[in-house]
This record gives sequence, structure tokens and C-alpha cells, in this order.
Amino acid sequence: MKQSILDPRSKLVLSLVAMVLLMTFSHWAFLVISLVILIAFALFLHLYRLWLNFLKGLGFAVLTFFLIAWLAFDLQTGIISGLRLLTIGGVFFLFFQTIPPEPLSNALLKMGLPYPFTFVLITSMQFIPVLIHRARNIRDAQRARGIPIEGGLRSILYLPAVAGPLLIQSFKFADELAEAMEARGFGISGRRFRYEPKFSWIDWVVVVGSLIALIIVVSGLFKSG
Amino acid sequence: MILRFEGVTYHYPGIENPALDGLDLNIHPGESVLVAGASGSGKSTFCRACIGLVPHFHQGRLTGKVLVDGLDTAAHPVHELFRHAGLVFQNSDAQLFNQTVEAELVYGLESLGLESSEIEKRLAWASRLTELDSLMSRSPHTLSGGEKQRVALGAILTLRPRLLILDEPFTHLDPEATEMLRRILRSLKSEGITIIIVEHRLHEMIQDIDRIIIFNRGRSVAEGPPHQVLSGDVSGYGLNLPPLLRLFRDFGLKITVFDVEEAIDELRAQNLLTPFYHHLIKQSPNPFGSRAETTQPVVEVEDLWFNYNGTPLLCGINMKLQKGESVALLGRNGAGKTTLIKYLNGLLKPQKGLVRIFGSDSRKKLTSELSRHVSLVWQNPNDQIFRPTVREEVLTGPKIFNAYDSRWCDELFSRFGLIPFLDRSPFALSEGQKKRVSFASAFSVKPDLIVLDEPTAGQDEPYRRELTSYLHQLREEGQTIIFVTHDLEFAAEHADRWLILSDGKIIADGSPDTVMEETATMSKAGLRPTQRFQLIQAIKRLGENKT
Repeated sequence: MKQSILDPRSKLVLSLVAMVLLMTFSHWAFLVISLVILIAFALFLHLYRLWLNFLKGLGFAVLTFFLIAWLAFDLQTGIISGLRLLTIGGVFFLFFQTIPPEPLSNALLKMGLPYPFTFVLITSMQFIPVLIHRARNIRDAQRARGIPIEGGLRSILYLPAVAGPLLIQSFKFADELAEAMEARGFGISGRRFRYEPKFSWIDWVVVVGSLIALIIVVSGLFKSG
Repeated sequence: MILRFEGVTYHYPGIENPALDGLDLNIHPGESVLVAGASGSGKSTFCRACIGLVPHFHQGRLTGKVLVDGLDTAAHPVHELFRHAGLVFQNSDAQLFNQTVEAELVYGLESLGLESSEIEKRLAWASRLTELDSLMSRSPHTLSGGEKQRVALGAILTLRPRLLILDEPFTHLDPEATEMLRRILRSLKSEGITIIIVEHRLHEMIQDIDRIIIFNRGRSVAEGPPHQVLSGDVSGYGLNLPPLLRLFRDFGLKITVFDVEEAIDELRAQNLLTPFYHHLIKQSPNPFGSRAETTQPVVEVEDLWFNYNGTPLLCGINMKLQKGESVALLGRNGAGKTTLIKYLNGLLKPQKGLVRIFGSDSRKKLTSELSRHVSLVWQNPNDQIFRPTVREEVLTGPKIFNAYDSRWCDELFSRFGLIPFLDRSPFALSEGQKKRVSFASAFSVKPDLIVLDEPTAGQDEPYRRELTSYLHQLREEGQTIIFVTHDLEFAAEHADRWLILSDGKIIADGSPDTVMEETATMSKAGLRPTQRFQLIQAIKRLGENKT
């Protein structure tokens, strides 16, 4: 995880504004430049491998977006739609890659969100890889019995072979997790955090700069249309 | 008294039979106590009652009194009790819910609202004791089983409880990680912390404890110093007795011994060294002998390599399995054992190297075709169960392969004791019963090779006995078996050949005794010879010294 000099709150504002701008501008050149900037950031932060994994993960969705928009409208709309999804995904890729979940959770709390909400949000993010690992184990266990879940229409018949055990195990896991959390004082009042997030002058510059950019764009949109 | 149970009876909601049934016990400060008993004897419920999760979290009906450090658990919420008693749960995955090891360790302290300086002090203390300093920035879910166990322990220790309870802490640990945890527990005891370890495998801890309490059907049925308790008749309580004790009992000796030195002293005192030595040799763990390489091998692996995320897990594996062999695949966690067995039925296909199963290149066969001949029994039976009844669950394989043989399946139902459960949901069975279902499912297609992944992990003695009987039967029938295990006593008893994996390579291949003689190899793989082997060697050395 790459640590950032920015507070998660200022970074969240920056990312949200970037998302609005990317959704607002419909010129391919703007989106290409944005994508180049995002890639430059990823390279600068030595996130090449993770960036490639991210592309692998989002590639199918981008392609689908591109094809649907192209078929429904025209090629330019297709390119813009694909690029837009890719750049917005890229913004959030960088956001999550540069903020450890702990400071993010603390920052959300500081913003006034309730503790159970932020905890569940952050913890569920963390357990996604654990559940993926379990799903793989279950899939392997069923394949080892000869259950044809490797592909083809017949595999749909055997969907419960993976979904059933995964669901049951997830419930059991959630129960055990809740028990362990209870035993370590989850949700009791008077909780104090070891690292309290602090807003520095750079954060103020980022927040004010982002908001100014947003105001300029929104007012420009109103004027033009 | 740090812990007191006064006539405690507890029913889980909607369950008629009590999990604890009039339990009385006392634990003194600074004691180290082992709570033992078969599955379902109430051990885990006892752990939860010690920290107030029973009844506060699980609800249910509790009568009697549980006093922890003088506090009545029924009258105090869990968050008031966790400063006094901490529980390390059996499943370490589900108790590590923070993003880094450091965050995991301080979570409870943040809950208590402690000052930063106090948090830092406790963090430093707990991380030193649990030897976690180098792992602080790692995500708990990327750690090995032993490391996760230490993180879970550290997270409880930071709360400085006077009483520490560990629920089956050794279940998924390899011998090296087990030894490390034992060392940490000894340090904790020297710090004055009261320790309760709940286990059914006694030999892991028996030499480090002051007292043993045996549970049976929710009650304490025997307690006292280990030598005293185990010298009595405990055969009906489903305990996995220490190996030397079992050997002595088999020989007809009533003496209670736990380590080799003790055994030698006793045998020498009774002038039984020579007859006992012959008894050990006669009781060879390999009664079936090795199979001659006359027929085509069941499995041939040639120069097999496997990388995961750039890390080599298997590095040029070469091996052959002959028909009728029983092979144990051993090594520390992460040595590549589970990866290797996934090649034996085509779950993984070689990218570099060759795997031939019954003469066919595994790359040219579908996994579903290979699984007709190779059955894999997974460590966790819950990974496979999905049918509404036990009968349908077992018959899934034969129906897919159109290989349903009603006589064979009826025999399996009977052999695995499943007849009373055939129309019940497999989800409603105990873990031991689920294991039997998964065994029956594996055999239902009449496989030619059986692969078992950690067959004894987390299982109590009655199940081990059942497993022993199945394996004997299979070997008598000439079945080829390969199993992965950390349980060397089990491996010595049931395998005529050991394969030792270390850093992705097979570093030893031979009969158990031959492999155990290779001290450097054993130590490289983080393994210790069995107690039976150690005793044979010690008696031999004594004989040599005499001459």
C-alpha cells in the first residue's frame, strides 16, 4: 500500500470532483489526457503490476460499454464511454491504492459517519479476497468430485454446488467474526483511535482547488446550456 | 480463584440437550490447565462461557454461576469481562478483522479508549512476547496459519487479561509453528498469566501443564495433575493419548510416561528395555511393506514446476506412485503439499513438466474425467456439501459418471455408519459425521487412487479410530492412497512411504524409519521424529554404550 501525504478526506473530495469532471466532459482528448495522467501517477507510485491487474479486471466492462455505446449510437460515443469508465475506474484505483483502509475508516468517522457503518464498509472490503479464496476452494472441491462446473450450459445446473457451500460458510464466518469482534469491544462507547487523521495546509489547497474547479465547470455548464 | 464454575448448565437456543451440564470447576491464578474431551463434550461452550459470550452473545439458558476474576459473567457485559479473560478462537481467519497486524493488536486497546502512550507500551510488550515485530505492517490474511495464530494471541494479550483461553490452538499448525506457540505459552506462564488450553490432542501440551480437566457431555469427569489423571481409565472419553502412553498401554504397562527420558527410566527400572524394544520393532508401522515396481505407476510426475505470483512453489518435482502404496506427503505449511496433490487429479495442469495419471498425460484429460479414477477427500467437508440429503450427497458422483452401483453404495452407507442419516440434511450433521459423508462420496465412484488432505486435522480420537479402520481396510484391499498431514504419528502408522517436501522440492523419499534417520533432512523440513522412533533410537544407543 502506497502511503500518501494527503489526508483521506481531501483525497476523497479530489476523487469525487475528478469523477464529476470526467462524467461532465465528453471530449475524447480530455479523457485521453486524463488517462495519461492517471497512468503516469500509477507508474510514479510503482503500481505497474496492480495497474495491469486492474485493467484485466475492468477490461471486460470497458469493452462491453464501448460496444454497446458504439452499436447504440456511434463509434465516437463508444470510445468516449469506454474511456470514461476506464478513467473513473482509474481514479478510484489510485484512491484505494494510496489509502490504507484504517485511515480511510478513521477519516469517514471524522466526517460524521457512524462507526458501525464505516467498520462494516472497510471490513467487507478486506474480506472480499478471503471469500474469493473460499469460493476457489469450494470450486476445486466440487471439480475434484467430477461436478462439471468448468463451463458450458450444463454447469448452470450445478451452480448450487458452489453457491450453497459458499453461502453456508459465509454465514458461519460472519457469525464467528461477530463473536470475535464482540470479544474485543466492538461498538462500545469511548473508543479512541491511535492515529487521528490531521488536515494540513496541502489538504486545504487540494480541497479548495478541487471545489474551485468544480464551480468553474458547473457554472460553465449552466452558462452554455 | 481466577475462574469458578458453580453448577453451570447451559442450553443453546432451541436445543434440548445441554452443552454444559452442571459443570463445577476452579482455576487458580498462574495455573496452566489443559481442558480435554471428545468433540461435542462442551469444550468450546466452556471457552465462550469464560468470557461471557455465553450467554450474552449466544443467548440461550444459563443456570449456575460463572465467576471470572470475581465477576459474575451473567451480570457483566462482554466488554467488561474482556479485560479479565481473553479467548483465542479456533478459527483464526474469523478473528482477524483489521487491515494490518499492528491494527489488529491495538483494536481492543482502542475499544477501551486508552491513551496513546499506554497503547504503545502494551503493543511493544505483546509483539515482543508473540514474536510479531517483523510482521507489523502485513495484512493478517496474507500470513501463514502459525503467524495468524500468533496475531490472534497478541491481539488478546494487549488487553493484559489475567486469564488466557486458547480453543484448539494447534489444530492447523505444522510441528515448527506448534513448537513456537508452546515456547510463547511458556513465556506467558512465566509472566504469571493463567492459561487454559482446550485440546483433544494431549501430547502437544501435556508436558507444559499443571493440571488436566477432562470433559464428557458437558461435565468435568476427571481432573488433577496429568500423570495422576492419565494413570486412571480415561479410555471412554475420546482422548487422543500421548503416543508413548499408548505404546506402554499396548505393551500392558500401567505406567504413565510422556517423554522418552521418562520412558527409558521406567523401562530400565523394571528391566524391560529389551522386551519393549522388540515389541516396538515388531509393532512396525509398515505392516503392508512397500510395493514392487512391476506394474505401470498410478501417477508419474516428471520435472514439475509451479510458480504463484512469481514465487516458485514447486521446483522440479519427480515422483512415482505404485499401485497399493500408502504414501504420506509431509513438510511445513507452505512447502507446496496441497499444490502438489492438486496435480494428481488435474485440478492443476502442468505448465512446465509432466504429470501422467494411469499413463495418460493429465493435460490431455478433463478434471471431470480424471476424478472418475482419483478421489480427493478435502480437509473441510463443508467445501463439498450442497445436496438436501446425505443419500443424494453421496450419490452425486456416481450419477454424474453414470456409475451407480447400488450394492457398493449400500455397503458404503453401512461402512461409514450413514444409514441413520440417509434422509437427513448433511448440513445438520456434526463435523465428524460430515467427514464420513465426504469419505463415502469420495469412494462412491470406486476410485483407483485416494488423496486425503489433512485427514486428522481438528478431529477427535473416535474419528481417528474410525479413520484408522477405513485406512486399514483400504490398504488390505490394495487401494493406492496418498495423504497430506502434519500428524507424524498418524503418518508413521498409516504410510509405508514418506515424501518430504521443503521449499518446493522433494528432499526425502523412503520408509518412515529411513526418513526419520536423516536428522538434517527432518530438521530442514521442520519435522521431529515420532516418539516411537525416538524411543527405539534411545534404546539402541543404550545398547551400543553397554557393548
